[in-house]
Amino acid sequence: MRRSMRFVAPVVVLFLAALACYQISGAQQAPIKVGMIQPLSGPVAASGNYVRMGAEIGRDWVNAKGGVLGRKIDLLIEDNKSDPKEAASAAEKLIVRDNVAVMICCWGSSMTLAAMPKVEEYGVPLVVETSSAASITRRGNPWVFRISPPSEMEAIGLESKLKTLGIKKYDFLAVNTDWGRGAVTAFGDILKKNGASQGVVEFMDQSATDLNAQITKIKTSGSDTLMVTTSVEQITLILKQAQEQRLERRIVTTGGSSSPSQLIKHAGPAANGSYHVLVFLPWFPEAHPDAKLAKAFVDEWQKRGFPFDGLTEGFRGHDAVVTVAEAIKIAGKDERRAIRDALWKVNVMGTNGPIRFEKDGPAGKESGQNKPLIFLVEIKDGQLTLPKMQ
Amino acid sequence: MEQLLQHLVNGLVLGGTYALLGIGLTLIFGLMSVVNFAHGEFYTLGAYAAFAALALAGLPFFLALLAAIAVGALLGALTERALLRPLRGHSIDTIMLVMIGVWIAMQNAELLAWGGVARSIPHPFPTAPFTLGPLNIAPLRLFVVVTAAALIALAWLLIQKTRLGTAMRATFQDRDTAALMGVSIGRIHTITFAFGSALAAAAGALLGPVFLAYPSMGDLASLKAFSVVILGGLGNLAGATLGGLLLGIAEELGAGYVSSGYRDAVGFVAIILVLLFRPAGLFARAERIG
Amino acid sequence: MIARVLAALGAVAAVTAPLWVANPYHLHVLIMAGIFTILALSLNLLLGYTGQLSLGHAAFFGIGAYTSALLTMPPLEWSFWVALPAAALAAGLAGWAIGRLALKLRGAYFVLVTISFAGVISLVSVNWMELTNGPLGIPGVPAPSVGPWTLRTKTAYWYLVLAMAVLAYLVCRRLVYSRLGRALVALRENEPLAESVGIDGTHYLVLAAVVSAAMAGVGGSLYAHYTRFVSPEVFLFSYTVTMVIMVIAGGQGTLAGPVVGALLFTALPEALREAMAWQWQLLAYGVVLIVCVFFLPRGIVPTVTGAARPAWTEGGLFKTRRGSGSRE
Repeated sequence: MRRSMRFVAPVVVLFLAALACYQISGAQQAPIKVGMIQPLSGPVAASGNYVRMGAEIGRDWVNAKGGVLGRKIDLLIEDNKSDPKEAASAAEKLIVRDNVAVMICCWGSSMTLAAMPKVEEYGVPLVVETSSAASITRRGNPWVFRISPPSEMEAIGLESKLKTLGIKKYDFLAVNTDWGRGAVTAFGDILKKNGASQGVVEFMDQSATDLNAQITKIKTSGSDTLMVTTSVEQITLILKQAQEQRLERRIVTTGGSSSPSQLIKHAGPAANGSYHVLVFLPWFPEAHPDAKLAKAFVDEWQKRGFPFDGLTEGFRGHDAVVTVAEAIKIAGKDERRAIRDALWKVNVMGTNGPIRFEKDGPAGKESGQNKPLIFLVEIKDGQLTLPKMQ
Repeated sequence: MEQLLQHLVNGLVLGGTYALLGIGLTLIFGLMSVVNFAHGEFYTLGAYAAFAALALAGLPFFLALLAAIAVGALLGALTERALLRPLRGHSIDTIMLVMIGVWIAMQNAELLAWGGVARSIPHPFPTAPFTLGPLNIAPLRLFVVVTAAALIALAWLLIQKTRLGTAMRATFQDRDTAALMGVSIGRIHTITFAFGSALAAAAGALLGPVFLAYPSMGDLASLKAFSVVILGGLGNLAGATLGGLLLGIAEELGAGYVSSGYRDAVGFVAIILVLLFRPAGLFARAERIG
Repeated sequence: MIARVLAALGAVAAVTAPLWVANPYHLHVLIMAGIFTILALSLNLLLGYTGQLSLGHAAFFGIGAYTSALLTMPPLEWSFWVALPAAALAAGLAGWAIGRLALKLRGAYFVLVTISFAGVISLVSVNWMELTNGPLGIPGVPAPSVGPWTLRTKTAYWYLVLAMAVLAYLVCRRLVYSRLGRALVALRENEPLAESVGIDGTHYLVLAAVVSAAMAGVGGSLYAHYTRFVSPEVFLFSYTVTMVIMVIAGGQGTLAGPVVGALLFTALPEALREAMAWQWQLLAYGVVLIVCVFFLPRGIVPTVTGAARPAWTEGGLFKTRRGSGSRE
């Protein structure tokens, strides 16, 4: 008995010492799991991948500074295949199998709406980075926090610049999705409030490539401006086909995600004289409140060889990760309810500007909505300019 | 009235490429009875091949088109040899399922290879359109129509006037007799599929520069091709040509005068109406290939 | 004998699933598999037994989903238990329309009419904003309730889906072994001959189309109340393709084939999600499909259970009812 005791004691001491060292170093602590669902395949795969790339930069920067609460962030990425059913499945997997503390999703509004019941069912905070449907923050889901602007917010952000543009009569050409239809309503309201009258409103299918029929109709409307809300590919086609049909009109695109430099590249001279509502300006990082951060993000993006055109969407991934990291820091632990409560207290600088959530939706069950900065750029002679009206 | 003319012109241009797609599929579906859901993927392949030839290899425009057609033919022949020939004699559903698998695989391979970003395919034509009074047509589109017409004429010549064409027609009319007459059935099947796929690739290479190249561009193309085949009658080349033009014009007029949201419904409604009232196709004649 | 044992084991496993399934995510996959089983069985009725391929089946699924969703939302707020049969009715009506319009056609023409029909319905759901809310979809579809309890938990919903799936299976079984079933098989094997003995082809095919569509409508309703969100994506061609894959790869013309196919091809994408990075998942899916068809061209169940018996033999659970005649 005594002999074994003599053996046991040093072992116990060693064990306790090792344990103490382990706690002090903290290096072996498990990473914090953050889930992300994006359309990585299907028709909008390009956009989903841009957001993913931005998020990866955000994650790497956070981890390079030591992570959050001394732990690294582990970004678990799932593909929603541009399908709401898959978005719900992916959410289920991330929440239940992978036990993520918080989620970022899902790019498209219908994908986000399909995942929202899951986050409410399991009680997981959700940061919405791109979706624009107003209903997302109005459904009384207290776990939802959106950093991107819904169409109404975009339109209001544009209002001050409208006076300088001097729009008297406008037509609208929008993609036939919740996003396009929401934009027609939101921008229409603001334009009419400022004295403009509406001409022709036309829609096109998400995958339509030939828009000549719509353009032919718009040509005879007598308007001075054509508002366009759709993906960058369709905007390219609209610009080219408008030129082919000699539609001499000022074109204003909304949505904030299409990259005008891609338009310049693909549509060439057809893009001149067009205006674009954007939320991130990689060409003019100095327009953003934290110009250094914006510039650093652009530089890192290019250093990694990511396509420049993706910056106008990729920043959302970065800002979402920054928001999540800040919330976890405020919460002090990677526990879901704590993170949700912490999100209300977040006041952090992203590449677009400050990120803070205000209450939106039915009383008692509000979701959080951020108010990002809105910008307007113009393409003149193959170059992007920031009109003086800002 | 000006609008009407412009709509007609737009429709004609688009219709030419629908015709090209339709002819390829009418050979594959009408003659070989293969429900080829991957037809649109050969269209996509043609566009990306043209892109690779132009933007990466720096070939001149017309050479790039030829290269795209060659790639389409080659991959078509390969698909037939590797996947369809071993399954010959199996039910039409089994073969359809394989083609669905090919469709999924090809589209996602494109996505992997080129990424989801749409590619703009450079072309040497000026962008300013030709103007005839109220009508505008871009030089590139004019080129597309002319080339499509030429390819269609070539296809027709091949089928009607050459020995190979005769062998093809014979094989699909009566296989056993054709075999007795010395026709190599296996080769004919491979050549037919390759030919149909090459035409689809040609359509893709022609339309790629007009629009953009992206991995899912083939989905709608497949469905439109099926519409054209039904309109024209299975195996009916002339019917497919006219059907393609008709579909293009009908779509344009529908989008222009009825509703642009229901544009693609025109093709669907056309199929339903034709099949209900004239199932052999609008242009059915007593004598058909298959 | 083995078939019976397998079936019994399967039944026990299914009924006790919530107890032994590792975590709610897997239960979620099972619920989706159950819904797709119903869809696959319905498609199989048309495809496997009448020999006519409907590639517009997603239309019936979607009509069922939208009907059920719209009836249970304000302003009507009917009970789920009324909405479910209403969904079946609506879808069945659509099936009748297709049947009457299209079943004078056969083969490839029928296929294309069904595709076109589904295409038109899809476009209507996107454009008819007043009814369907268009692309914005219908969020917040209520869960079914039994008296004071809402079937919100997965376990509860699993039993609902299981019950419906068993019901669907029994309906199919009843039909297949009935006079209707024999008439359908006779029509499939040799239509002119069948007609010559007085079997009215169109009448029976329309009947099959109606039942098939109604069943798919039930699947749609279950889907709507599980995911609680309906949008025009339910009409996506990819849903039809998935159902077709399940039926053909599982083994058309058998009763167990669609069940096996549904389980396998619901689990496959999720398994791929676990197994590989997102870039490769869909490519792998396509390859698996090609390989499956190549090595099991008649489907899994018929290959596994051996030779095809002559069509008129009364078979068991796994026996194929497909004869050697090819369908053109």
